[in-house]
Amino acid sequence: MDIAVQVRGLHKSFGELQVLKGVSLDIPNGEVVSIIGPSGSGKSTLARCVCNLEDIDQGEIALYGRRADKGGMSNKEQSQLVGMIFQQFNLFPHLSVLDNIILSPMKVRGIAREQAISKAAELLDRVGLSEKIDSRPNELSGGQQQRVAIARALAMEPRIMVFDEPTSALDPELVGEVLEVIAELAGSGMTMMIITHEMSFAKDVSNRVVFMADGAILEQGPPEQVLERPQEERTRTFLQRMLPHHTNVKGAEI
Amino acid sequence: MSLDFSVISPYIPMILTGAWFTVKASLCSVALGSLFGLLVGALRVLPIAPIRWIAAAYIYVIRGTPLLIQLFLIYFGLPSLGINLNAFTAGIIGLSINSSGYVGEIVRGGIEAVPKGQWEASRVLGLSYVQSMRNIILPQAIRNMLPAIGNEFVTLIKESSLLSTLAITELTMAGQQVRSVTYASFETFIAVGLVYLCLTSSTSLALQLIERRWQTR
Repeated sequence: MDIAVQVRGLHKSFGELQVLKGVSLDIPNGEVVSIIGPSGSGKSTLARCVCNLEDIDQGEIALYGRRADKGGMSNKEQSQLVGMIFQQFNLFPHLSVLDNIILSPMKVRGIAREQAISKAAELLDRVGLSEKIDSRPNELSGGQQQRVAIARALAMEPRIMVFDEPTSALDPELVGEVLEVIAELAGSGMTMMIITHEMSFAKDVSNRVVFMADGAILEQGPPEQVLERPQEERTRTFLQRMLPHHTNVKGAEI
Repeated sequence: MSLDFSVISPYIPMILTGAWFTVKASLCSVALGSLFGLLVGALRVLPIAPIRWIAAAYIYVIRGTPLLIQLFLIYFGLPSLGINLNAFTAGIIGLSINSSGYVGEIVRGGIEAVPKGQWEASRVLGLSYVQSMRNIILPQAIRNMLPAIGNEFVTLIKESSLLSTLAITELTMAGQQVRSVTYASFETFIAVGLVYLCLTSSTSLALQLIERRWQTR
């Protein structure tokens, strides 16, 4: 079995603050892993380290067996292994939806324009935004922007997708449309690492749920086990606090 | 005291010739200064510390010393190193270098005002530093920079009057020559001032139009 993401003994501090205290995590090819936990638990930092957006202090990160931390691979090589979705979407505001999507396939992978455009059209159809191909990001709702961001990431044909709280910046009524797209992607067999606060979503799409607190993994296992019969006191407290939110999410998902 | 502009009217072509020279000098310096300033500004934010320091030192020295001294160094100083430049070339080089320091600082500010997420998104999409800078960061930064660049252009037109000290017959020098034959100091320099005002306000207007077009895009 291919290991898509391998994290070994990862330490990361910001100044005095120790954010990750020796995290190890393997994600086999094709697995969907949701990472939950209170804010400040280090889950976003873990995602950012996997995507090489942070310099790690100690440990090792490998993607499909290739060192991915600190200059282990080029941006180009990394972009074809792992795509990332940000909380704030980070679409390029000066470019149309189409140009957002085709820019890096053309510049980085050297794909011909016509080919990149037909791929972009296909991806926009997949996220349900075909009619927005010529729009500017500021003409789209947050949910639409995030769906474009997903199409943009998929255009690089990465083998892994990392989602860093993809719906946290969205108005509640826009959360559902984005989760739907992510769920469809999970069903297609893509390897995914999802940082999320949407508990019922995590339960529905993941093969495994990881609970993090204070920069370490406290508990992990099948979603039913971690979310319904948590072994650790910290997990229980966290889930109880998430409960009101939990019911909200169910409502928004329909 | 009474003003009599009829005294200087025969010399109006002379003033306009000087104005034309000011326009030419300003355009050359704006073009070169912006180009060089863009480079300095880009180096100023490079993730390689020593290069960043050199760019910062350059900006520090240029902005911290008078343009007049910079012009003197180039025109009167460089010949002692065997580099002889004619007055026009020395003037353009001096103005461009001076402007590049200010533009460099504007460029740095413009680049730093682009949210960090834009860098991160282009990085995870596989773009190199140079590709990100050219395709993602600079187009957004230039939009942020336009108003400040406009001010810099206007400043440069006014400061080009210092070229008169290198005996270049630009607008201010033309005014001095007219004054020396007509002795009508007040009238002459009011006229010269008005011509500067025309130049600066038409520049501001042009830049405002450009800015508006960029924003509606």
